[in-house]
Amino acid sequence: MRRLLFALAFILLIASTWIGLTQGQIVPVQRNILYAHVPNSVCALLCFVVLLLASIGTLISGRQAWDLVAVASAEAGFVFATILNATGMLFSRAEWNVWWTASPRLVTSAILWFLYAVYLILRASLPGSQRRRARICAVFGIIAFLDVPLVFISARFIPDIHRPNFSFDSHWQTMALMLGMAGTTLLAAALIWLRTSLLRDGVDLEKQLLQ
Amino acid sequence: MSQLWLGLRAIIIKDIVVELRARQVLPTMVVLGMLIVFILRMASEPGSTAIGGPVMGVAALWIAFLFSGLLAQERSFAAEQHNGCMDGLLLAPLDAGTIYLAKLLANVIMLAIFEAIVVPITLIAFNLHVAGGWPRLAAVLLLGNLGISSVGTLFSAAVQLTRTRGSLLSIVVLVILMPMMIPATFSLLVLFGAMPEEVGGSGTLAFVGSFKAAIGYMIAFDAIFVVASWLLFGVVVEE
Repeated sequence: MRRLLFALAFILLIASTWIGLTQGQIVPVQRNILYAHVPNSVCALLCFVVLLLASIGTLISGRQAWDLVAVASAEAGFVFATILNATGMLFSRAEWNVWWTASPRLVTSAILWFLYAVYLILRASLPGSQRRRARICAVFGIIAFLDVPLVFISARFIPDIHRPNFSFDSHWQTMALMLGMAGTTLLAAALIWLRTSLLRDGVDLEKQLLQ
Repeated sequence: MSQLWLGLRAIIIKDIVVELRARQVLPTMVVLGMLIVFILRMASEPGSTAIGGPVMGVAALWIAFLFSGLLAQERSFAAEQHNGCMDGLLLAPLDAGTIYLAKLLANVIMLAIFEAIVVPITLIAFNLHVAGGWPRLAAVLLLGNLGISSVGTLFSAAVQLTRTRGSLLSIVVLVILMPMMIPATFSLLVLFGAMPEEVGGSGTLAFVGSFKAAIGYMIAFDAIFVVASWLLFGVVVEE
């Protein structure tokens, strides 16, 4: 099932790239990075929503399964946030001739990356019982999520050099973006699933070794 | 209500008396703040850079507040680690939220004393003129103080058992406070006359828009952080 999900994600992503490079090319050429940039930004935010839900689940039920989902989504989200900022910088350099500028959306994307990075560092540095660590990370996940609405709001409603509403010339371009969106979302789901089950195996192994 | 008030008062008075007798934190905070201000002052000598005094002054003020605030917050629970003081606090017939509020208020008082000493020094060092009026400056500083202390006090309790507690606390608190520093910087720049009250365009500061909006953002951040920390504190200290 998980392999199927990965395979489907890759097929969709390859289809998206193929259409984007042939029928759906955008002029000038650097704007084609949008096919990678937009789906990755959406997934970086989606992973944070999963992190929030898993954190709330940890606090309410106290079950370790929720905690593992939270870590997995933080790890996946960190990767997507890194790609989001990296592709954004490449585009920015080609389009506006600067690698980075302090515009609201660029600042908030950087904040998103920092939140993921600190979550992972915090998790790695907390000693003590697994339950206590899970609870503290859940508290950080919830408080950090209070910063995320800012990212949403700035990406939609604030005048900026960064334009969210891209107007497409052809259906091919819309199709390439939609395929990319679907493929990346599936990839995110498969990655979170894979990491969660790997982490669970690790926990089981530790239990067996202790016995 | 009277129970809450008694508990709050007892913990705040305890913390302040401990600080007055041992003088552990406040002198360190003040000296660290002054060092930050003077190091940035040396970097902004006219002729060496084009950056104006108000911009560097505002940067110096917020960096000094953030780092000195971290010192106070880290100590506020580190001091409870000896002789099982934390267990004693938790055994008291008080809600965990009340302990949080008391610790928060003690930290706000410490940072306010710090501000009363370091802000005049910064104003002199950077030759700043408070064009926006002193009451508004005090309001902005207190809002910033409350925001910095709220997150710091919550996570100070969380990181106590780690090896790297100070540095871990600093990254956790600074990353949560990043968005709040945008309106905080904006409002001080307006008060020091480095910026008009309303700004258009497409930069990060234009995102804030006006002085009123900056104050609104800061109140919103403070309210969200204080309420969320108050509710979640019990989860953090539970064994």
